[in-house]
Amino acid sequence: MRSVVIAGIGKTSFGALADRDLRSLAVEAGQKCLENAHALPSQVEAFYLGNFAGPSFVGQNHLAPYVAGAMGITGIPATRFEAACASSGAAFYQAVMAVAAGIHDVVLVVGVEKMTSQTTPKVAEILAGAGDSTGEVKAGATFPALFAMIAKRHMYQYGTTREMLAAVAVKNHSNGAKNPQAHMRKVITMEQALNGKPIAEPLTVFDCSLVSDGAAAVLVTTAERAEEFTSKPIRVLGVSQISDHVALESKPDITRFDAVVTAAKKAYTMAGLEPQHIDFAEVHDCFTIAEIVATEDLGFVNKGAGGRYALDGKTALTGEKPVNTSGGLKAKGHPVGATGVGQICDLVMQMRGEAGERQLDRARTGLAQNLGGSGATAVVTILGVQ
Amino acid sequence: MSGGVIYTETLVHSAPEQFVGEAPYQLVIVTLDSSGRKITGRMSPPDRVSIGDHVDFDHDRNGTPYFRSSAA
Repeated sequence: MRSVVIAGIGKTSFGALADRDLRSLAVEAGQKCLENAHALPSQVEAFYLGNFAGPSFVGQNHLAPYVAGAMGITGIPATRFEAACASSGAAFYQAVMAVAAGIHDVVLVVGVEKMTSQTTPKVAEILAGAGDSTGEVKAGATFPALFAMIAKRHMYQYGTTREMLAAVAVKNHSNGAKNPQAHMRKVITMEQALNGKPIAEPLTVFDCSLVSDGAAAVLVTTAERAEEFTSKPIRVLGVSQISDHVALESKPDITRFDAVVTAAKKAYTMAGLEPQHIDFAEVHDCFTIAEIVATEDLGFVNKGAGGRYALDGKTALTGEKPVNTSGGLKAKGHPVGATGVGQICDLVMQMRGEAGERQLDRARTGLAQNLGGSGATAVVTILGVQ
Repeated sequence: MSGGVIYTETLVHSAPEQFVGEAPYQLVIVTLDSSGRKITGRMSPPDRVSIGDHVDFDHDRNGTPYFRSSAA
């Protein structure tokens, strides 16, 4: 296996971008990434696109060559990957594998989603397509409802409280306010977070990530070729993608995601690291409870103690293990197909010292955790400064 | 299907397009007495339950099981 690095990153702002279509967002992120890496479209050997539901949201299929062509990239493999909200995490995983295996030297990975042209109930219906249409979805489950049921069970088994969930929202909004590319740059109070409009009990609107438009891109290459593109290559130390059952009812214990636990173990083994070696993380906080569960599944804290960990400020910018310094999906926004690659971009910005107001003092080893559905796909990536 | 114990539940306020008219409704995952298997369904209004409560199968609608509280 060859050593793999990230040689460039590019992101659009995330938000409700009424005047932008899917392709223009994806092209902007891809072009910014190539500029960031001082790379030409002709140097890209494969184009991998992460997108969850372009056909449903905007009525366009055949998305990878559709985007690549608009960037002036033709004559190479261009493929779309779909794994619900882990779509671009899955695309990134395949890019790392292709480069590590020697199949390609330079792969451009773009994640994109255009969501805000649909009404909220329609968005809920399209997103529910990542659940089991023959069971839970037919019964009336939305993703907020599935994660609400996870939260209820976590509260029942471990004594997790509403305040602990709200602490995640307050912290991520605080971080997002420091991120110029975030969808919502607004600090919220604990009182506001506790008294939001109910969506699916116990989750309120403040426990839910945002419906956003946006795109993100990374250029993946070998450690050997990295110097052609950048003076600050960031190495991929470990990466793993793992699947599980789609339906929530099929999981033995819904207070953990077995796919995340397994992906994390494999990524830690590949990197030769333990959870305590991770300086900071971007985790998939599609709902506040998901961040709490993630910190447990990734081994940052013991099972059941994730809520207390958040409430005690351990995951804050100034805490012992900063989580979602970007503002997370909660405040940065969650254009679902862009989220996995967006997290990688956020890690790289911290590791290069380019995170501005939210810059950490110590950001040499970072972890990203990207989740699809209610845990049927998990991608865990560990990056290190060379 | 007879009944079982509530494994988890939520009251859904913000419904997907096809169920907007029925909100709020209680979605449940029930651990069936017969097999120990978990199944996703709904509570028949106006019954509301919490984790650990026992429920009985009430009726089927479009393949979704509806339960009623055993305490009623």
